Amino acid sequence: MSEALSQANSQAIARYKNNFLKEVEERVEDGHWVKMCMQCGVCAGSCPFGPHWEHSPQKLFMMIRAGKREEVLSTDSYWLCTSCYNCIVRCPRKLPITHIMHGLAHYAHRLGTVPPAQPGRAIAVLFWKNVVQNGRLNELTFSLKMYFRDGFGQGVKNAMAMQGIGLGLVKTKRLNPMEILGGHTCKDKGGIQRMVAKAAEIENKRRGMA
Amino acid sequence: MADNKFAAYICSGCGLGEALNIAGLEKVAKTEGKMAVIKTHPFLCNAEGVKMIQDDIANDGVTHVCIAACSRRAKAEAFHFPTVAMSRANLREGVIWIVSEGADHDEVRQEMAEDYIRMSCAEIKKLVQPGGNKKEASSKKILVVGGGMSGMTAAQSAVDAGYEVVIVEKAGQLGGFANQLWKRTPFQSPYADAQPTGAPELAAALSSNPKVKVYLNSTVAETAGAPGRFAIKIAQESGSISEELCGAIVQASGFTTYPIEKLPELGGGQANVVDQAGLEALAKAANGGPIKRADGKEVKSVVFVQCAGQRDDSGTHLPYCSGHCCATSIKQATYFKDQNPDIDTVVMYQDLRVPGMGEDFYRSAQNKGVIFTKGKASKVTGGDSCKVEFKDLILDEDTAAEADLVVLATGQVPNAGTDIEAWTVAATAADGGDEAAKAQKAELQSISVLNLKYRQGPDMPQLKYGFADSHFICFPYETRRTGIYAVGPMRRPMDMHQAQEDATGAALKAIQAVENAALGRAAHPRAWDLSFPKARLEGCTQCKRCTVECPFGAIDEDERRFPVFNEERCRRCGTCMGACPVRVISFENYSCDSVGVQVKAVEVPDEEDEKPRILILACENDAYPALDMAGMQRLTYSAYVRVIPVRCLGSVNTIWITDALNSGYDGVMMMGCQKGENYQCHFVKGSEMAYYRLSKIGDTLKGMGLEPERMQTYEIAITDATRVARLIDEYVAQLNEIGPSPMKGFG
Amino acid sequence: MTASIATNQTILVVGGGIAGMTAALEAAECGKQVILAEKSPTLGGRTSMLYRYFPKMCFPSCGLEINLKRVRGNPNVRVMTMTEVAAVTGSRGDYTVTLKVKPRYVNENCTACGDCGKAVSAEVPNTFNYGLNKVKAAYLPHDMAYPQRFVIDASIVATPDGEAAKAACKYNAVDLGMQEETIEIKVGSVVWATGWRPYDANKIQPYGYDRYQNVITSLEFERLCDPRGPTGGKILRPSDGKEAKNIAFIQCAGSRDENHLRHCSRICCMGTLKQTMYVREIDTEAKSTIYYIDIRVIDRLEDFYQDVQKDPNVGFVKSKVARIALNEANGNPILHGVDTEGYKRYAAEHDLVVLAVGMEPEVVGVQLPEDIVLDSSNFIEGSKSGGMFGAGSASSPLDVNRAVQNATAASMRAVQVIHKTASTEAA
Repeated sequence: MSEALSQANSQAIARYKNNFLKEVEERVEDGHWVKMCMQCGVCAGSCPFGPHWEHSPQKLFMMIRAGKREEVLSTDSYWLCTSCYNCIVRCPRKLPITHIMHGLAHYAHRLGTVPPAQPGRAIAVLFWKNVVQNGRLNELTFSLKMYFRDGFGQGVKNAMAMQGIGLGLVKTKRLNPMEILGGHTCKDKGGIQRMVAKAAEIENKRRGMA
Repeated sequence: MADNKFAAYICSGCGLGEALNIAGLEKVAKTEGKMAVIKTHPFLCNAEGVKMIQDDIANDGVTHVCIAACSRRAKAEAFHFPTVAMSRANLREGVIWIVSEGADHDEVRQEMAEDYIRMSCAEIKKLVQPGGNKKEASSKKILVVGGGMSGMTAAQSAVDAGYEVVIVEKAGQLGGFANQLWKRTPFQSPYADAQPTGAPELAAALSSNPKVKVYLNSTVAETAGAPGRFAIKIAQESGSISEELCGAIVQASGFTTYPIEKLPELGGGQANVVDQAGLEALAKAANGGPIKRADGKEVKSVVFVQCAGQRDDSGTHLPYCSGHCCATSIKQATYFKDQNPDIDTVVMYQDLRVPGMGEDFYRSAQNKGVIFTKGKASKVTGGDSCKVEFKDLILDEDTAAEADLVVLATGQVPNAGTDIEAWTVAATAADGGDEAAKAQKAELQSISVLNLKYRQGPDMPQLKYGFADSHFICFPYETRRTGIYAVGPMRRPMDMHQAQEDATGAALKAIQAVENAALGRAAHPRAWDLSFPKARLEGCTQCKRCTVECPFGAIDEDERRFPVFNEERCRRCGTCMGACPVRVISFENYSCDSVGVQVKAVEVPDEEDEKPRILILACENDAYPALDMAGMQRLTYSAYVRVIPVRCLGSVNTIWITDALNSGYDGVMMMGCQKGENYQCHFVKGSEMAYYRLSKIGDTLKGMGLEPERMQTYEIAITDATRVARLIDEYVAQLNEIGPSPMKGFG
Repeated sequence: MTASIATNQTILVVGGGIAGMTAALEAAECGKQVILAEKSPTLGGRTSMLYRYFPKMCFPSCGLEINLKRVRGNPNVRVMTMTEVAAVTGSRGDYTVTLKVKPRYVNENCTACGDCGKAVSAEVPNTFNYGLNKVKAAYLPHDMAYPQRFVIDASIVATPDGEAAKAACKYNAVDLGMQEETIEIKVGSVVWATGWRPYDANKIQPYGYDRYQNVITSLEFERLCDPRGPTGGKILRPSDGKEAKNIAFIQCAGSRDENHLRHCSRICCMGTLKQTMYVREIDTEAKSTIYYIDIRVIDRLEDFYQDVQKDPNVGFVKSKVARIALNEANGNPILHGVDTEGYKRYAAEHDLVVLAVGMEPEVVGVQLPEDIVLDSSNFIEGSKSGGMFGAGSASSPLDVNRAVQNATAASMRAVQVIHKTASTEAA
C-alpha cells in the first residue's frame, strides 16, 4: 500500500469518526440506500456466487450499520459480484445492491484497504488503465497483462491454458494479434482522458475525497 | 284463554308428502294436539301457502300457529308472523333428511314425525307472543367514562349522530395520555411523518358543544340501574356529587405505562434511561428544538430498546405485546431525525411490528436514517454515557452500544378497574364475617372505575391480563355487561388509531343499547328479542343461584334478599331459568313449561317394543344448526331421538331431565357450545353450567336406580355434522347395551 | 328480486362478507334502513371459507350463524345477492346508485331441496374451495348459504342440463329466462365492504407457484386442512396425493415488497401460526418450518405465538426465501436462501410449500366510483364527498376481529351522514 493511499484511509477515519454508515452514505455509490435494507436475506440467498462470499450483501449492510469499518472494507466478498442483478430484481426494498457492492469495492480500492492478493481488484485496475489510455479496451494487451501479473512463469501457464480460446477468437476475427502494437484508438484520446480526469475530480469533490 | 285459537299447518313439499303419511300427522294434530285448525299444503312456504296462514290470522281469529315443515332456521322470512306465537316442527332437516331411506324405516320415521307434531302442538299452548316492555322515560344519553382519545372520539361520534353525551374525566382537562404526546404516529396516507395528535381540537370541540356535558376532576362514584336508566353519581374533587341519568355507558378508562422501575436490568430508574412517555416529555419540552435530556445535555445519540418488560413468558413482566410500541419508537426516532439528521438513532427490536400500512412509516423512518438492529438487550446501564449490552441477532455476536439516552418501550397496563373474580371471592368471605376479606374487598373496590351497584361486582369482568375484552372474535363489543362497552387500551393493547376506530364503533353500540332499552328489546346476540324473565317471587326460596349464575350480572338482590330482575340488562339466555330449583322464572315464549310439555308429549314405547327414546336438548347457536347441517348433508342418525332446541344449555332446568327420565326416556343428550378457556358459548358459561349441574344430579339418578350414562353433555360446533350424527348413533348403541330405562311404563 | 324502495335515509352496504354483514346489521339494529348488496350468490364472504380463526381456533360458522339469525330477523336489512354496483353519482347524503343484479336462474320459490342438483350432470369449479374441486352446475354455494337458494351456473342455462334442472324442480323455482336487472336507488351513504383478494402467487416468479404443483397458497392450504374441503381434512400433496410431512411456510409472499404489495398484510403471521396448529392436529409427526422476516403477532395474540414456539415440530428461520427449485425425482420443492441470524445458507427440501400470500383490495366485480379516495395500496381511505366509507379489509389489511370493529365504525359514520341529512331537512 502506497503512502498516499493509506493517507486517504486515515483521512476518512478522522473525518467520519466512528460513523461508518455516514461515510458509506456519502462516499460509496448508492450508499444512501444501505439504511433501507430490512435484513430479509433474499439477496444473500439469490446470489449465484453466494456460497463463496464471506459476508452476504445483507450482512454487509448490517455490518456497515454496526460500524464494522475494517471488516467491511477489507473483505473479499463484494469482489465476487458479477453484476448478475439477481439481488436487485428480488430485493423487496429495491435496493440497488449490485451498485452498492461495486461501490464498496471501488471505495475500498481508493482507501487501499483491499486485501493485497485480491485478484478482482487487480484486474479492475488493469482494465481501467487500459481503457482510459486509448478510449477503448485493447483486449490483447489487457489479457496478457492479466495473465502475467503474477510473474512470468505463471503468465506463461495462464496463457497456455487460454490458448484454445485465444485462437478461436482470432479465427473468428474477434481478436487481432496486431493489437499488440497499439490497438484501436479513438479520435480524441486526449479529450477522453481529460473528461475522465474531470469526472474524477467532480466525484472526489462531492465525496470529500479531493 | 278462551280467545286463543290454535292452528297447525303441515307442509307436504320437499319430499315430506312422499316420505311421511301426512294424513296420519293431521290426525295426531287433531286428536292429540287438539288444534282447532289443521291444514296441509304441498308448498307451504310459497306466496300462496303463506297467504293462507296470514288470512287465517287476519280473518279466522287464529292466535297461535304451528308450522310443521322445514327447520325453524329455513324460510324464516316466509314464515314471519310477528303478531302471533309460533312453533315449528322440524320434519324436513330433522326427520326425513336424517332417517335412513327405504320402507324398512317408514315406521320409525312416521313415529318421529308424529312425535314432533305432538311436541309442537303442546309447546304452542304455552307460548305467548311477547309484547315487550316499552318505557316512557328511558334516557338516551350516553355516558363516556374517560376523556382521552378513545373517550373523546366516542363522545364526538355519538354527538354527530344526534345523541347527548356526558363525559367524566378524572384529570383537570380532557385529552388523557394524548396530552403527553408531542405528536402521534401517522394514521393516513402517506404514512410518512408523525402528525399532530388532534387532541386539543377535539377537546375544545367537545367542551363547547351544547350536547356535551363534561365533568373534569371527577370520577364515577356509583352506577346503578340498567341500560336506559343508569343512575350515575359523579364525585368531583371538590367533594360535591352530581347525578346524571344515562342510557348507555362507554368505558374508555385508558391505561398506564408499565413502571420503568420494575426494569432495573434495563436501566430503569437510572439516569438518562427513560420510557416512551418520558421521551415524549423531553420532546414536548424541546418544542421542535434539540431534544435535551434531564441534565440539559443535547441528545446526540439514542437507542430505543423494544419489548421492554413485555412479551415475557417467564412470568416476571407483561406477557403480552402492547401493539403500538414499535411504531411509537419509530415515531420518536423521527423526532430526533427531523430536528437533526446527524443524531444517531437506533431502534433495537426483536420483531419489528408495524403491520398494514405501518410498513410505509417504517420505510419513511429508514429513509430519514433511523437504524434498525435486530437485537436482544441483556443489560442497560444509565449514566452520563449509557451502555446497552445486547446480542446482535443478525451478526450473531454479543456486543454493546453507547448512547446519550436510552428509551425503553414499555407496555400498556390497562385501567379496567376491579377484577371482579377476586372481588367476588373476597365479598363472599366478607359476607361470612371474615374481617381480612372485608378489608380486601374494600381495597379491590377502591380502584373501581364504574362502581356498579350490581350484585356481581363493581366493574366489568376482565378477560385476560386485566383487559376487559370480549372473548368473541366476531363480536369485539360483546362485553359481559349489557349497555356498557369497553373501548381502547383498557379493552386490549392498541395504538391510537385503533382506539379511535374502536371508540367510533362503540358509540354505535351504545346508541343501539339506548334505543333497544327504550323499546324493551334485547341487544345482540338475541337481538330484538322482546321476551324477558319474569319471576313468581312467592315461590322463590332465595337460594340466589339465579343472581350468582347470570352471566351478565342482570339480577340484583333487594333488602329481603329476593332477586331483582333488570330486564334491560338481560340477554334473554335463560340461565336464570335453568338455575332455579323451584322453577319460578320463565319467559313468555320460553319456560320450564314450554319445554317440559314437549318432553312429556313424546310417546314413549313400552320396553317390549325395543324402540328407545332419547331426548336431545340442543343449543340453538351451535348444536341445533349442526343437526340441521347433518340433515342438509343427508347424513343419517337414529330415528329414536327427539330434539328440542334451547336458547343455551345454561337455560336447561334439571326438571326437564327428570321429566324425561321419569317418562321413560332411555337417555338425555345435552348438546351445547364449547366451554372452557376458549369458550364459544355466547352466554359465557352455558355449557359449563350444564356440565356442572349434571354432575350434581348424578347421585340423584343413582338413587332412582338409573345409570349415570343416561345423561351426557357434548360440545358441538356447527361444522360437526358428521361428528354429531356419529355421536348420536354411538350413544344409542351404548344405551342398547345398558338396556332400556327401568322407568318405562311408570310415567 | 323486486326493487327496494330506498331513500336518502337508507344506507347501502356493498359486500356481504363479515364486514359488510356487520356494518349492515349494526346500522339496522339502530333503526336505520339498510340495503346489503353482495355480488356472489351468498353472504359470508371469504371468512366463511376459512377452516378456523386465530387465536381461539374457533369456527367461522359460529359467528356466521348469529349474524345470519340477526339478518333473518331484521326487517330493516334488505339483502340483494348477485348484485354489483355499476355507478354512483350524487353527493353526501344524496347518492343515486345503479345496481346490476345478475340472474341466478332460481327464484324465491326455491326450498333448497336439492332435486335440481341431482338432475344435472355438468360440473363447475367450486369457488368455495378455491377451485380445488368441482360441484354440480346447479348448486348451493355452501351449507350455510344465505339466502338458502340454489344457483344455476350460466354455462348450462341453454343446454339440456339446464332443462333437466328445470324439470326436476317441483316448485317452479328454476327460471332459465331470468335476465340481468338494472335498478336505480337513492341512498344517503354508502359503505364499501368489498373485501380482499389473495395476491396472485403466479406473479412471484422465484417461488414457482405456476410451475410446481407442491407450492400452494395459504388459502388453498386452509381448504386442504378443512374436513369439509376437497381432501376431507388430510394434507395431501397436489402432485401425488401423498400426505405432507415436512411443510414449509413462506411468510411475506408478495407483501412488504416494492415489487409486489408494498404494505404488510397483517394476518399472514397469525394465519401461518394457526395453520401449524392444524398440522399438529392432523398429524402429530409432521413438521412445519416458518421462513419469516418479522413475526408480526401483536397485542394479546402474543400468547398464541408463545404456544406455537413451544411445539418442537415447528421451526422458525429468519429468512426471506430467495428461490424454489424442484427435486424432479419426487416432486419436492427445494428452498434456497440464507438464514440471516448468523448467516447460514440452506437448500432445504420440503414436501409441501405454503406461500403466505398477502391481501390486496378486491377488484373483480368492484367498480369504485371516482369519488372514492384510495391510499397507495388501493385501500379505501374515504371519499371526497364525505358520505362514503370503506369497511373491513377494503379499507386496510385486517383480521376478523379488527374488520368487525372497523365495520362497526364505518357503520357509525354512515349513520352520522344519514342523521345530518335528516336534521338538515328537518331544519
